[in-house]
Amino acid sequence: MTVKWILHWTPTPGSVVNSQILSEISQCVESFVNAVKDGRWKATLTFYRPNLRDQSIPSEFPRDFLGISLLEQPNKYYFIIRGNKIILEADSTILTIMEKLQSYKSKVALNFEGVQYKMGDFQMKVVKVVPNQAESLRGILIEIEYLPLSSIEKAKPIMEEFLEVWREVMSKKSLPGHFTQTEPHFAEYKLPDNYTSQHTAIQYAAALAQLIQSAQLRG
Amino acid sequence: MAHYAQSKVYESTNEGSKFSLLGCEALKTAQMQQQSQQAPPPHSTSTPPPAPPSSTGGSAAEAPPKQVALAMDKLGEAERIIADIRIGADRVLEALFVAASQPRHGTKPLQLFLKEDACMRRYLQDLRSLGKELEESGVLSESVRSRKDFWGLHMPLVCPDGAMVAYAWKRQLAGQAGASAVDRTRLALKAFTDQKRRFFPHLDYGLETNESASKKRCGSVESTVDPKEESSILKMLPDVLNYPSSNKLRLGSLGTVATEKVAVIEMLVPSTFRVVISLHPAGSTDPDAVAFFAPEESGSYVHARGFSVHHVFRHITDYAATALQYFLGNQVESSLYCLLHWICSYQTLFSRPCSKCSRLLAADKQSAFLLPPVLRPYWQFSLSKILSTISSKDHTSDITPAYHVGCFSEEL
Repeated sequence: MTVKWILHWTPTPGSVVNSQILSEISQCVESFVNAVKDGRWKATLTFYRPNLRDQSIPSEFPRDFLGISLLEQPNKYYFIIRGNKIILEADSTILTIMEKLQSYKSKVALNFEGVQYKMGDFQMKVVKVVPNQAESLRGILIEIEYLPLSSIEKAKPIMEEFLEVWREVMSKKSLPGHFTQTEPHFAEYKLPDNYTSQHTAIQYAAALAQLIQSAQLRG
Repeated sequence: MAHYAQSKVYESTNEGSKFSLLGCEALKTAQMQQQSQQAPPPHSTSTPPPAPPSSTGGSAAEAPPKQVALAMDKLGEAERIIADIRIGADRVLEALFVAASQPRHGTKPLQLFLKEDACMRRYLQDLRSLGKELEESGVLSESVRSRKDFWGLHMPLVCPDGAMVAYAWKRQLAGQAGASAVDRTRLALKAFTDQKRRFFPHLDYGLETNESASKKRCGSVESTVDPKEESSILKMLPDVLNYPSSNKLRLGSLGTVATEKVAVIEMLVPSTFRVVISLHPAGSTDPDAVAFFAPEESGSYVHARGFSVHHVFRHITDYAATALQYFLGNQVESSLYCLLHWICSYQTLFSRPCSKCSRLLAADKQSAFLLPPVLRPYWQFSLSKILSTISSKDHTSDITPAYHVGCFSEEL
C-alpha cells in the first residue's frame, strides 16, 4: 500500500470549524499543483462502550475501544484500543457477531466523508468529520499520499517537503488555523515499515482523538 | 627443332587423343544430364511423399517457387557451359590439326592448344560443380528418375497434405498448395518468434519457467543491495566482461533470470525502485532496453520496454534511454557495467536533494507535478572511473549529483 499522512485542522483559539473553511481548503487543494478531482471516499469510526448490567465495574474495560471501517477495505473492520496500543484487523462479519453477542454497544458513530484529488504522483483527500445522524461539521482532515512508495521511512523526506509546499500555499490564504500532524507511533502498535490499512486506521483514530481533545479544550 | 616440335605434337596428340576421349565423355555426360534435366525439372523439386517437399533441399530458407526459378537458372547456365565445351572441343581439335599439318610454325600451335586445354578443363570443372549444386538442391535425384513409368512419364505426386496432383511442379509454381502454405506458415512463425524473442524476452521467460518464475521473482525481492554488497558484485562484472564467450552472467544476489542464456536482468533496490534491463542478443552483455518501476508495481507492463504508471519513474525511464545510448556508443565493451553503476546512483532518489536548488521536490515545467530530482548525469560513468572508485574503497559517499528536470537544463 502507498504511504499516507493524515493531518487534522487545528483552528486558532477562538475560531470555529465551519463549512466555509472547508470550502476554502478545498479550493486551495483544487488549485494546487494541477490537481484533478478523483472521486469520493468514506470511512466510519465507532466508539464502543461495554454493555454491562452492573455499571459499577467499568474500569476493567477499555474506555477508548474504537471500530473503524475504510472504503478501500470493504471486507475488513479494524478494532483499536488506543490506551494499550492494540490494533486488530478483523473480517467485516465481526459486526454481526458483535450484534449477536451484545457485549458492546455503540456509543458514538462518526463519518469521515472525503473528496479525493490527484496531482501527479501525489494524492490528497479533504475529509470532513460529521456525526452519523447529523450534518454538523465536527472537524476537517487532509490526507496526503505518495503513490510510488510503500515504505514509511523512505517516504518521509518526500512527504515532509510536500507538506512544506502545501503549508506555503495555505499560508497565502491566511485562514484561522493550520494543519497539524499527530505522531501515530506505529512502532508502539508493532506495525512494520510497509504501509497498510492498519496504519491508516491508526492515523484516523489518532487524528480524531486530537480533534476531540482540542474541542474539549475549546469548551 | 622440327623434331622437338613433332615430338611435342605427338605428346600433345596423345594428350589430345586422351583429351578428345575426355571431351567425348564430357559431351556424353553433358548430354545425359541435359536429357534428364530437360524432362520437367521442377517436378523433381518435390521428393517422394514421405519426405517433406523441397524446403528441406539445400536452400531451406527459400520458398518452393523461388527454388524452382533458381533451378531453372542453374540449368540454363549448365546449357551454356555445355555449349562452351562443344566449341572448346572443336577448337582443341582444330589446334591439333594445325599443329600436326604445319610443324614449322613452331610453338604457336602448342600455345594455342594449351590455351584451349585450360579452357576446357575450366568448363568441365564448372559443369561438375554446377551438377553438384543441382544435385544438392534436389533437382537431380535418383528417386525421381526412378519414378518414371514405362512410357517415361512421371507418376502423379501425392503432397504431404494428402492432395494428389498430376504435375507437382505446376502446383508449386502456382504457389497455392497446402504444402507450400505449411512452409510459409512455418517461416512466418519462425520470423515472428525471432522478433518476439528480441523485443519481449520476458514473455519467453514467463513461458519457460511458469510457476518457478513467480517464485524466482519472490526470491529476488528478498535480496537486498546495500552499497558494500553492490560494489563487490559489480567488481565481478569486469571478470565476466573479460570472457566475452561466457553465456552466463552471475550477478549473485541481484535478481536474475538464470536460464540457459540471460536475456533479462531485474534489479530491486528495496523500497526505492525496480529496474528491468533486457539484453540482446540473449547471453551477451549488450543492454538493449531499460525501464524503471516502483518496487510494488506488477503487471504485464513491467518489462524492459514498458512504462511505469508513476510520473517519477516515467521520467527516469526516458532519461535512461538516453544514457543507454551513450553507454552503448562510448563505452562499448563495458556498457552494461557502466549502466548498472549509473542505475545504482539512483538509490538516493527519494532522499538526495537537487544539487542546484537544494530541494527534494520541484514542480515539473510541463505538468506542474512535484517530482524529486530524476536526472543523474551519465557521462561521468566510464569503466576506468568506476574501477578507481571501487578500488579506493570509498563506499560511504556517493558523490553523483542529482538534478530536477528544470534545474538541469540550466546547468548545461
